[in-house]
Amino acid sequence: MRARALVPGVPALLPSYASLDDPVAPLRAACLSAVGELGPRVRVVASGPSGRRVGAALAEAVGAVVVDADETGTLVVGNGSATRTEKAPGHLDERAAGFDAALRASFDHIDLALADELWADVTCLVGLPPLADGDVRYDDAPYGVQYWVAVWG
Amino acid sequence: MRLGRHAFGDDDPLMMGIVNRTPDSFFDKGATWAEDAAFARVAEVVAQGAEIVDIGGIKAAPGVEISAAEEKARVVDFVAQVRATYPDLVISVDTWRAEVGAAVCAAGADVLNDAWGGADPELVDVAAEHDAAIICTHTGGVTPRTRPYRIEYDDVVAAAIADTTAYAQRALDAGVARESIVIDPAHDFGKNTFHSLEVTRRLGEMVATGWPVLVSLSNKDFVGETLGLDVGERLVGTLAATSVCALAGARIYRVHQVVETRQTVDMVWSIAGRRPPLRAIRGLQ
Repeated sequence: MRARALVPGVPALLPSYASLDDPVAPLRAACLSAVGELGPRVRVVASGPSGRRVGAALAEAVGAVVVDADETGTLVVGNGSATRTEKAPGHLDERAAGFDAALRASFDHIDLALADELWADVTCLVGLPPLADGDVRYDDAPYGVQYWVAVWG
Repeated sequence: MRLGRHAFGDDDPLMMGIVNRTPDSFFDKGATWAEDAAFARVAEVVAQGAEIVDIGGIKAAPGVEISAAEEKARVVDFVAQVRATYPDLVISVDTWRAEVGAAVCAAGADVLNDAWGGADPELVDVAAEHDAAIICTHTGGVTPRTRPYRIEYDDVVAAAIADTTAYAQRALDAGVARESIVIDPAHDFGKNTFHSLEVTRRLGEMVATGWPVLVSLSNKDFVGETLGLDVGERLVGTLAATSVCALAGARIYRVHQVVETRQTVDMVWSIAGRRPPLRAIRGLQ
């Protein structure tokens, strides 16, 4: 089994959206450490162009190349709800915390309809092993969006 | 760009806080005439983030004749005191006199700000001898401390570029380091309000010469006449002019209000794509 990693598709991680003070510094450090363990050839699995850009940028940042086959590791891009607080992109939805807690326990049996309502990017999380089986480098929702960074060896 | 002991990146806008050791300058009307008040003013602009202080011993407008000896008495020891207290601060002295320039450089000044456009031809030699920077201004050839009166230009910007770049070349020939030469169109000096507005509008042409450009806009009469406002009411107009100069790429801003000018220039610098936002996360979570 080749290594797999999970990162959130946060555009603030892109070099083109860099600030003087990095608003996602701990997240970025966690992402780079995780992606750095995928080897030199990384396949990015993301649900849309934004996530693909983020995955590719992270791979590039650790000196890896993005490939479609013969990968040394797979980078899955996705995250939990974006409705955790009143200032969250999708505003507060009281169901978000429970939804994210369920994801934290298992990526099986995800309620895709609810995910859509909670602005969660879960399409590519389906089939991942539980976080408990991996090395979780980040688990927080600093801007009302639930992020995980994890590596499975 | 290098200002005496201090080097800066090619894209860093710098704030030059005005410190008057004069009893009669137009904006502060002698508020920092006393040495302790002037020193407190230095501390203030340093705390506000100014990289440079510009210390002047003679107001620009006509008035009582100030001898070189009196000018030196006002600024030389003061420069030494500022140098000793703030080793990382760029010290500029606003003088046109070579004799004063030599004395302040010996006391620790980094920049000679010749607001009167080379009236004393030996000032460049002093800058070269002390490895100081020099500000080459355009005044249309007027005598120091005189007001513009019925001055006309075929093209004020072309004249400003011709005179300041010729002055810069003269400084270079005298041995001043290329990276230590700055040009300044000198708003209101040898210019009526229409001239100063045109220089502002076309500042990009000065920037395009390749020499770093300093602008001194702060609370000046061209702002006051344009808006019909007295000296204490010109901040907004000053900042509007500052924005235009910043978009054109002016590098040094000689100012009374450091904080407001810094915010203005930082904002424009970011709009121009030369500075990232401080911290952008909205829509990017």
